[in-house]
Amino acid sequence: MDGSSPPRWIVALGSTATAGVREPIVVILLLIAVFTAISGRPVNGLLLAVVAVCLAWDNARSRRRVVIPAPDAAAGLTTAQPREPLIAARRRRPAAVAAVAAAGLVFAAVAGSFARYSWPATVSVIGLAAAMVVTGWRGPSRSRRDPGELPRRGTALWAGLLVAAGLWELSALFLQPGLDTTSSAHPTISALTDPLLTSHAGRSGALAVWIAAGCFLVRR
Amino acid sequence: MSSHDLTVFGYLLFLLAGVVLELLARRTRLRIPSLAAVLARAMRTRTGRVGVLVAWAWLGLHFFAG
Repeated sequence: MDGSSPPRWIVALGSTATAGVREPIVVILLLIAVFTAISGRPVNGLLLAVVAVCLAWDNARSRRRVVIPAPDAAAGLTTAQPREPLIAARRRRPAAVAAVAAAGLVFAAVAGSFARYSWPATVSVIGLAAAMVVTGWRGPSRSRRDPGELPRRGTALWAGLLVAAGLWELSALFLQPGLDTTSSAHPTISALTDPLLTSHAGRSGALAVWIAAGCFLVRR
Repeated sequence: MSSHDLTVFGYLLFLLAGVVLELLARRTRLRIPSLAAVLARAMRTRTGRVGVLVAWAWLGLHFFAG
């Protein structure tokens, strides 16, 4: 041992990995990325993995930033402060809201004209999804009250409903003849929505709902 | 009732349960938060925000992007 510290990139890599393992969402995203990739969607899986790594890196950076010297720093101890909740917001004017809504409708009409899984549809949807995630990364787009602590039992009802619905969908998926072979006896939500998404109008309508949901979430 | 009908019935039941929960949250004094409040709570931190947004993005990728 010569006493020299390891290179900075190794330290950054180690802190990113540590921060990632500590965040359940990062781990969940990485698992979804792996399963998405092995189910025949490598590009989608790669994008999810990139977001997971960026989140882990951002967390590691935040942790380094909030670790401040304490009075007993001389003893090698530090104090970590809790991260600020992202409730500060940027204001948006009504004209801008109308412009975003119009742009969303035009996008849905144009992107809906492309066949599903074609490269124009893939590029359009991935581009919009990436833009929304990057926008959301910066914080909510409007001011809102901090909801504070929620009633645990009421929140557990929502969580239970989400998990139960997910398990129901998963059981239908595994009861199919194959992961990528739909079954009429045990239809997944994807199989049930296939007829709707075969027409231009159906795809545009679904995209409009998806975009509206994204705008709602970005404003949360 | 065929297994197809049973599966679809299950999806409709979950959808109905979600609507009922939301109505209970908004129209009664029961201690049930609305879906918007749950999402706002989950999205207080950057990790939560990005996690929820990526779940939304995944839906679009799953149904439209190959």
